[in-house]
Amino acid sequence: MQDAVLAMLAKEPSHGYVLRARLRQSLGPLGESMNPGQIYVTLSRLEKAGLVVCERADGLPERPDRKVYALTPAGQQRVTAWLTEVGWPKPDQAEFHLKLVAAAAARLADPVELVAAQRRELLRRLREVQQAILAEPAGSKALLLLEGVVLRLQADLRWLEACERAWSGADDPRVDDSRVDDSRADDLRANDLRADDRVEGA
Amino acid sequence: MGSLVLVVRLVLADVRRHRAQAAMLLLAVTIATATLALGLSLSGASRTLYEQTRAATAGPDVVALSGDTSPAVTSALSELAEAPEVAGHHGPYRIVYADLTTRGSVTSPVVVHGFAEKPGALNRPLVTSGQWVRSGGAVLERGFATALGVGVGDQVTIAGRPYPVVGIAVTAATSIYPWAAQIGPGGGPSDYTGLAWMTRQDARTLASSQDRPVTTAVDLKLRDPAATEAFREAHRDSDVRINFHSWQLNAEQDTVILRGTQPILVLGSWLLSFLAVTGVAALAAGRAVQQTRRAGLLKAVGATPGLIGAVLLTEYLAVALLADVLGLVIARLTVPVVASPTASRIGDIGGPSGPVIAATTLLAVAVAVLSALRPTLRALRTATVTALADTAHRPRRRPWLAALSALLPTPFLLGLRLTARRPGRAALQACSTATTLIALTGLLSLSAQPSRGYGLNGSSALPNLRDENAGHLLIAVSALLIALAVVNTITFTWTTAMEARTSMAIARALGATPGQVSAGLSIAQLLPCLPGTVIGVPLGIGVFSAFSARNAVLAPFSTMFIAALATLLVTVALTALPARLAARRSVAQALSAEAA
Amino acid sequence: MNESSAVVRVRGLVKEHGQGESRVRAVDEVDLEVPEGQMLAVMGPSGCGKSTLLHLLGGLERPTRGEVWLAGQRIDTLGERALARMRRRSVGFVFQAFHLVEELSAAENVELPALLAGRSLREARRRAGVLLERVGLAGRARHLPSELSGGQRQRVAIARALANQPLVVLADEPTGNLDSAATLDVLRIFEELRSAGQTLVIVTHDERVAATSDRLVSMRDGMFVDDTRLAGSHPRGLGGLIGLEG
Repeated sequence: MQDAVLAMLAKEPSHGYVLRARLRQSLGPLGESMNPGQIYVTLSRLEKAGLVVCERADGLPERPDRKVYALTPAGQQRVTAWLTEVGWPKPDQAEFHLKLVAAAAARLADPVELVAAQRRELLRRLREVQQAILAEPAGSKALLLLEGVVLRLQADLRWLEACERAWSGADDPRVDDSRVDDSRADDLRANDLRADDRVEGA
Repeated sequence: MGSLVLVVRLVLADVRRHRAQAAMLLLAVTIATATLALGLSLSGASRTLYEQTRAATAGPDVVALSGDTSPAVTSALSELAEAPEVAGHHGPYRIVYADLTTRGSVTSPVVVHGFAEKPGALNRPLVTSGQWVRSGGAVLERGFATALGVGVGDQVTIAGRPYPVVGIAVTAATSIYPWAAQIGPGGGPSDYTGLAWMTRQDARTLASSQDRPVTTAVDLKLRDPAATEAFREAHRDSDVRINFHSWQLNAEQDTVILRGTQPILVLGSWLLSFLAVTGVAALAAGRAVQQTRRAGLLKAVGATPGLIGAVLLTEYLAVALLADVLGLVIARLTVPVVASPTASRIGDIGGPSGPVIAATTLLAVAVAVLSALRPTLRALRTATVTALADTAHRPRRRPWLAALSALLPTPFLLGLRLTARRPGRAALQACSTATTLIALTGLLSLSAQPSRGYGLNGSSALPNLRDENAGHLLIAVSALLIALAVVNTITFTWTTAMEARTSMAIARALGATPGQVSAGLSIAQLLPCLPGTVIGVPLGIGVFSAFSARNAVLAPFSTMFIAALATLLVTVALTALPARLAARRSVAQALSAEAA
Repeated sequence: MNESSAVVRVRGLVKEHGQGESRVRAVDEVDLEVPEGQMLAVMGPSGCGKSTLLHLLGGLERPTRGEVWLAGQRIDTLGERALARMRRRSVGFVFQAFHLVEELSAAENVELPALLAGRSLREARRRAGVLLERVGLAGRARHLPSELSGGQRQRVAIARALANQPLVVLADEPTGNLDSAATLDVLRIFEELRSAGQTLVIVTHDERVAATSDRLVSMRDGMFVDDTRLAGSHPRGLGGLIGLEG
């Protein structure tokens, strides 16, 4: 979010409300839930970090929405670094996977039921995005973003399908071997830590 | 060598997978080549039989006959026998004109040859059963006896007097039954006549007792048997009127009995070949997509276009050549019956001659090439990728047709559109129908011809063997033609149904009933039959007129109209079953098969 | 659910394919009711019996056992001719492979069901014009299917399915052969049909198509394993989906 706001200032200094409008436009319906004040919170954080400076427009009463923001050289550098960065959000499968393993091991719940519930949830989300896409006018930039969300959800749904197939066969007595379960749980503990790292980083 | 193995292997595999098509090609070409071989072998076979009979009976080179009754006749004929070109003679002998009645009251004109009880060196009729003439007993020529249904030991009445039949014999001195008379009384024209032999004494008695007309004849053997024409030229200036009948003339006269059959067979074989091509081509077209895909597969693994063409052509050629051999064998077995409808000749007919084999082989190859041409070209022309993608034949668009058919009731709408999808097949179907009607028109017209029987004064108590022979053959050939046309119609319908199964399934999914779909399929076959019928009748009349006697009459038009109508009705009936079967197939299956 | 409001109703439906040893149950004791105006998606892996179910609903196949009711009429006992009439009047089919008649133009394809139903050419033509307009292909009415893209062909097929104003549209993998842009076009049309109150049953393995529907039934080995209502759930704010909230 911070990086995106900085990058938007790279073209020219800008009012906060203009930035907000541009964000809304790019995000389409996904930006609707954005808090109206959020842009100013972000800008003030950036100002404190010395990445943007705030210039007051001349001869006008002092109001937050009259402020014009501009990049500092440090902010400029940060934008360049951001653009060349190839980091990518990591998928969030480990937690759900562990939920299934734990539920099966402790017989807390039927993993197949958990998968089905999760699937219903994702399908509802997919439906929302899908309807947003259909409501979006043709040529809107936000369509591409929505398409990305749909594809991600589709991928997740397909993974859930694979989970369902695997866990439907889990009643097989061979899999119900406790030793196997333990070793698998050990393996997954390591994953657990990495997953926690990621959650904090986001 | 490797590619040869590959070709053979692919051909065998394909024939094994498509037995019905191979069987149909085999059957159709066999019928066509057999008919052609038969047609072309007839005159040769007739000559062979004459020559063998001539050798077996010491047939004369020339028979000199005179219908005059003057005393000079005998001396004039004896003089001929003394001519320097003559190597030997038999006679002069008496030929008495009479009539013969059997116990069954069948009466026929007959000529009675007065012969010695001990046959001489020249013109020794071969007794095939019983004995040679003795006083009071007659010997009948075998063709005549067969037509009369008379055997040794039976009694016949000649000129009012009873004679026991003591023997049956054949001779090369006269033409076959019913042309034994050679010349009529007084050298005039003769009627259909049989031949009998008696002793000289009996013949004389017969002639004098009732004052019967008599011709005197002498059989001559020339030093040069081929020089009969020169001999005739040299000796025709005589005081007495003398007719010379050479052995060549007799042989030629023998073939007259085949005059009606030969065109039927040759023409029939062309029509049969045509139907064979249409039927097999339709079957091949039905498999076109599959063949093209196979060709694409072969190309994809590196086969040259030449190899692909070779595989397709070899398959058709191999089957057609096998059919050729079968056809020749069938012709060989049937030639004696067809070439010698009378029993007047003896001997064996050898295998088919070189030219006949060449002609039938050419026919077989032509059928194979014509049938295989389109699929081969198509397979060669289609790009590999397209072939593999299995893009089915894309029908051309005919906006006017779509608009016209939209105005018609559903079955006609479906039928018209189906016909329009495959104009080539519609043309083939039309030709097939036309061919059927050519055969039917010929058959009807021939049956309408007045036929003069071989009995006394044209009585049909003794049937006209020539017309009968031709009639039987025409029936046989027409039956074969119609059978092939029937097979073709069923093939056409089935192929169309198979090709259109997706379209028909869509129509069903959109709410067409099975009845409408099967009616549509039938109509699709019936539509091209209409022009086929309209063309077929005049063509049949033309063909019949071209090959029949000048005074031939045509069947009444009402009969032809009924035949045309019957053909259409039969077509509808024939298409009904495959169309019904096709319409009953599961819609869901047809649609998913296409999607897969 | 009130019987009269269910356009499609199925009781104890069983369909077996094959004979003896190789006998397979494609549809196994299925009960289903689709109320009027509902858009129902049937999902499942290939071979789970979902296409067979669709064929049974449209009377293209007959069940081995069970009942199929369409608009209050039992159809599994009907004869072939009556079934054909029923399809004409009440059912519109959309297929994965489009199944357009190749030699007929787009408009003529759309006219076909109306002509089969015995309507006049003028009426069929008028209706085809309206429907092609509705699927956004009014400008392509005279094109042959081969001159249209996959998405356009499927839109023609949908227009054809609507030609006789059917009670229910049955679609079998309608987006199976389409790319995502064309899929969106088709979904847009389905969405429009849904809001116009058209009852739809769509068999699919595309989650997007399934997510567009009001209700989703999951099928495994011929049986329903899940029945989810997607419509009516409270929107949670799309921003949450990309981590913009909070």
